[in-house]
Amino acid sequence: MTEDVNLNGGQPLVEMSHLAVTFYTPRGTVRAIRDASLRIERGEVVGLVGESGCGKSTAALALMGYLPGTTKVEGSLLFEGQEINEMSPAELRKLWGKRIAMVYQDPATALNPTMRVGPQIDELLQHHLQLSKSEAQQKTIELFTSVKLADPDTIGNRYPHQMSGGQQQRAVIAMALACEPDLLIMDEPTTGLDVTTEATILDLVVDLKDRFKAGILYVSHNLGVIARVADRVVVMYAGQTIEEAPVRDLFKAPRHPYTAGLLSCVPAPVSTENSAVQLSSIPGSVFPASLPTEEACLFAPRCPMAQERCRTEVPAVFDAGGDHSARCFFWGDVRPGIWGTDELRQEGERGEVEPVLTATSLRKRYGHWERKYLFFGPWVRPPVRALTGVDFAVGSGRTLGIVGESGSGKTTAARVVVGLVPSDGGQLTLQDEEMPSAVQDRSRSQRAAVRMVFQNPKASLNPKLPIRHAILRALRKFAGLNRRESLERARELMEAVGLGPELLDRPPTELSGGQQQRVALAGAFAANPELVVLDEAVSALDVSVQAQVLNLLDRHQDETGTSHIFISHDLGVVRYVSDDILVLYAGHVAESGPAESVLNSPSHPYTEALLSAAPVPDPDAPPTHIRLPGAVPTMRERFQGCFFAGRCPRKLDGDICDTTPPPVRTGPRSSKHVIHCHIPLEELTALQRNGTST
Amino acid sequence: MLRYIIRRLGLIIVTLAVISLAIFAIVEILPGDVAKMMLKQNATEESLDRLREQLGLYRPWYERYFDWVWGVLRGDWGTSYVTGIPISEILGRRVVHSLALALFALVFGIPLAVLAGIWAGIRPDRLADRIMSMVGMVGISMPEFVTGVIFMLVLASKFELLPPTSMMLPGETPWTRPQILVLPALTLTVVLFAYIMRMTRASVIEVMQSAYVRTATLKGIPMHQVVRRHVLPNAMLPTITIIAANMGYMLGGLIIVENVFAYPGLGQMLLFSIQQRDFPLLESLVLLIAGTYAISNLLADLSYAALDPRIRVS
Amino acid sequence: MATEGYIAGSGFSPRRVGAALTHTWHKGLGALRLVLRTTSGRIGLPIVLVHAVIFVAGSWLAPYSFTSFNLAEDGTLEQLVGPSRHFLLGTDQFGRDILSRVMSGSTSLIAVAGSGTLLGIAMGSIVGMGSAYMGKWVDEVVMRIMDGLMSFPSLLMALLVISALGPNVLYIVATVAIVTTPGVARVMRSATLTLKEQEFVQSARLRGESAPYIIFREILPNTLPVMGVELTVRLSYSILIVASLGFLGLGVQPPSPDWGLMISQGRQFLSSAPWVALAPAGAVASLIVGVNLLTDGIRQASNMPREVAP
Repeated sequence: MTEDVNLNGGQPLVEMSHLAVTFYTPRGTVRAIRDASLRIERGEVVGLVGESGCGKSTAALALMGYLPGTTKVEGSLLFEGQEINEMSPAELRKLWGKRIAMVYQDPATALNPTMRVGPQIDELLQHHLQLSKSEAQQKTIELFTSVKLADPDTIGNRYPHQMSGGQQQRAVIAMALACEPDLLIMDEPTTGLDVTTEATILDLVVDLKDRFKAGILYVSHNLGVIARVADRVVVMYAGQTIEEAPVRDLFKAPRHPYTAGLLSCVPAPVSTENSAVQLSSIPGSVFPASLPTEEACLFAPRCPMAQERCRTEVPAVFDAGGDHSARCFFWGDVRPGIWGTDELRQEGERGEVEPVLTATSLRKRYGHWERKYLFFGPWVRPPVRALTGVDFAVGSGRTLGIVGESGSGKTTAARVVVGLVPSDGGQLTLQDEEMPSAVQDRSRSQRAAVRMVFQNPKASLNPKLPIRHAILRALRKFAGLNRRESLERARELMEAVGLGPELLDRPPTELSGGQQQRVALAGAFAANPELVVLDEAVSALDVSVQAQVLNLLDRHQDETGTSHIFISHDLGVVRYVSDDILVLYAGHVAESGPAESVLNSPSHPYTEALLSAAPVPDPDAPPTHIRLPGAVPTMRERFQGCFFAGRCPRKLDGDICDTTPPPVRTGPRSSKHVIHCHIPLEELTALQRNGTST
Repeated sequence: MLRYIIRRLGLIIVTLAVISLAIFAIVEILPGDVAKMMLKQNATEESLDRLREQLGLYRPWYERYFDWVWGVLRGDWGTSYVTGIPISEILGRRVVHSLALALFALVFGIPLAVLAGIWAGIRPDRLADRIMSMVGMVGISMPEFVTGVIFMLVLASKFELLPPTSMMLPGETPWTRPQILVLPALTLTVVLFAYIMRMTRASVIEVMQSAYVRTATLKGIPMHQVVRRHVLPNAMLPTITIIAANMGYMLGGLIIVENVFAYPGLGQMLLFSIQQRDFPLLESLVLLIAGTYAISNLLADLSYAALDPRIRVS
Repeated sequence: MATEGYIAGSGFSPRRVGAALTHTWHKGLGALRLVLRTTSGRIGLPIVLVHAVIFVAGSWLAPYSFTSFNLAEDGTLEQLVGPSRHFLLGTDQFGRDILSRVMSGSTSLIAVAGSGTLLGIAMGSIVGMGSAYMGKWVDEVVMRIMDGLMSFPSLLMALLVISALGPNVLYIVATVAIVTTPGVARVMRSATLTLKEQEFVQSARLRGESAPYIIFREILPNTLPVMGVELTVRLSYSILIVASLGFLGLGVQPPSPDWGLMISQGRQFLSSAPWVALAPAGAVASLIVGVNLLTDGIRQASNMPREVAP
């Protein structure tokens, strides 16, 4: 057992054993942590991973000794041999900031909006290290330098809202490092940041690991991130720690079926050639925290290996050798294959197909030019240009993936296609017929042909109406069915998306996020659409559920020949689903074409940077080095030259990138592959081969 | 910031225009024949005619409106119909009286309310907080005329500490007999205190639950420093808006309180002008009170903008 | 749960209506239990219930007629008699029983304040939701007007309207409605603006639903909780205004008793017969306290969903 291992090796920094945390709320009892054990040594990064609702964040807060008063905490939680659960507030306050520090999920809300950033760190230094004000300010500047913030001397004078998300998170990390704590807890520090920013923050964490001798607990739901930063990994499920292993062992030979399942749910890394497979998925959803712990393995209802014993007996944590342990009776039998063999996806005929939808030079801007003094003065504020002449086409039965950072214009593109946001210019052609830009001007058949699924499953269904409402209305509006027929069809649709028809009468609040998103899909499929626009439709879902939905989409597309526009910030997912890819940057097309061409060199430097930044769930993946400085420009800017020149890592010498818009170049593999860049393609290919990205 | 100020100033002009138009419409257009209403039953055709001429009722309404507005802007507020005294003269003295009362309530009520709100909000659900919440709940529920009558009964009738009414003899000012201010000011303060205390408490509680206060707490700095540097600056921002919104409530309270204690301020004059159907006086009074409220809201918005770096530095 | 047939109902059948009623009943009971779990709700609800009974049956339950000048056995007027077995709250200067007057006085006050509030909520909801849904210049203009109206302290606005139109019951109802409208409009507008951006409303637009369908079917049900809280908040405020108007002598005219007026007239006997003013003062204060407490309870309960599991 893990607890006994370290008696000879000195005291571990943190030793959590059989921790249980129960919240008593007006909503009822929440068993956030049921049985969690882990240890953290000095100088190592322990990754804590699991889906939402598994108790990761509660574990982090419990380590800080920061839980609300109405909470019951059982088990023990030792920090350097001292019991955190028994400390007084005064004792905890001596630890906080000085010995234990935390980095939070959302840096925008973690910083005081009415206080400049520098003083927020100064006060910590002044209090714990008894520094004078000027000494503290000096130390803060050093800290800003060590977290690689640009302009460390002056950036402390800014308010949080004057910094980008990446800068805010660096400032929070600087704050956490201020007193060189012994334990650093990072709770999803890159969730909500763009993938390019995430990569730079992860670089910083890896760098810190070498420079500081602190133990780090890194909490994340993202296996790719964990693979990049962690030395050891602890997996949590339904409030229990279920597996603990060195990072390489965990990713190569998981010993718990849940871990194996999580790994097989993630679409294969982007860099792997030809990885078109049917994703495995974990059926069902996480054992709810509202239910009391059962005398059984809590994962048994979802486990493909579950036997009678799993349903009647609580599994202990078994030592699998080599510092590897798992809470499973049959840990020795766990193989990658238990979740079904990865079947090769039908590559299909990738030949020419007729486009269903063609968009030509779509333009959209928000707002107007504004004057300096409202009605007087020079025109100083241009409108936001969300799309500046964007072209794309979706082939019949194909999926077009649209990728880009937040603020790249991808969501506007989706809204323009469905007509929620009328375009300012350009043309949409649906099956050789021009389509009006606003949805209210479109014909019924056009509305029926183009449907949309939104990001947030909670908000896509009216919380006050039973879920059949969305499906029935679509059937009535588009298919013209009468009441009985549409109810019949609704049942079929529910079954087609893998839900029981009895759910039709339930309010959406009783469904999980994954179920809600399936209902949204059923509503979108109701009228046999030609094109379904999926705007970050799986981004809010946990990986296991995400895989279920992706498979569902794939199957539906195979059966009906529907076309998809799939928008996501997650390159791995886009790569998995897309036949063609469109890369947007600040409302401009950077690159577009067939997926294989776009994702392989030569690529636009922006695509290259995105690929390089995407975290890969493989600890042995070669490190990537292309990073984008700064943030996406506000789309108010007007570009003299190339839209990407300001951040381009491969910007040419001379001023051509700054003064001349880039030419359109056609890729070598396909005539449909276009790259907007000044660098000749041969040179790009050479550069990218020498580099490490592909 | 500059754009914001300009925009806000532009809005106040629109608001004041809407106010003046509304007053004018309600008083002079809605009721039909103003002259008949003013003279009531003892009207003869001649006297009606004379009054209509005097009020300029034979001219189109927009001309009268613009004359009125133009007069107000120049400081010529017209003449009280009943007393025949220029309105600006009547208002001058009354404004000072009401202002004295309001200031008394503001100076004592607001700081106390804010402090009590902070005290209750920092540790919600403790005994002190529960008591404050109940006090606040009863406070906001008591009409001024009820509180006023209770104060009158206890402090004036039973213990005879203070004069039961606040009438002033000719030549008297609030400064010559400040004790007459106490009861009305106290009454006015009760509701003001209750509202602002409750709102301050709510905003302190909200800020206490924010992620940045958690960050500050987990820095390990002392609690008083967390409260002083992180909770208060953020909790005070919405409180400014709340105080401004309560000005309107207080102005309404002023009308009641002045009438409860017969205190010679604007509120009492307002009731007088309604009872006597002195429409020119009524219009001026309403414009003055509503304008004061609108401008206090403007000031609140501007000070909010000045204190919130998210607006100030943008 | 009897959810079957509760919503999508086209075509009425007794079974459907019955199911809908049962559903509403169960929901109502659940909500009531939640409200009663809060301290404010536990105190506020009984107070409101007592007032509700007096409102409905006050003049019927009252021991005397509110207009009768009560005479003692020797034929003199029972003037300003203190609280006693005969007159629980004493009598006024005309020998009228104060308890009876207080009990009869709530009918007009609550009816006027209540109907004015309902009217104001309806108007405010229509203005706010419509303005938010239409957006653009309509929204801009409507909201500027509402801002202008909000710049009148409510009591001032009420006085202005009453002075121009005269203290007639209908005008007072209209005044209360006018005073209530802008605030409700603002709240409903912001609720609608949030809902309008929600994906389910966007979905409805993509289905090609009409604007009235979206407003009434998709948005309205989601604003009902907001509207409910508004209703109780505004109701207590309206009661305050109507009572204040009465106090200033601009309320419903005598002989129908008016709490505000009773307090105003009772002031002159404050040192000799304080009950004359205190009884109606207690009545109006307890009514508003009760409504405010109930509001507070509902508000707390709405943040507190049903128990999830044992």
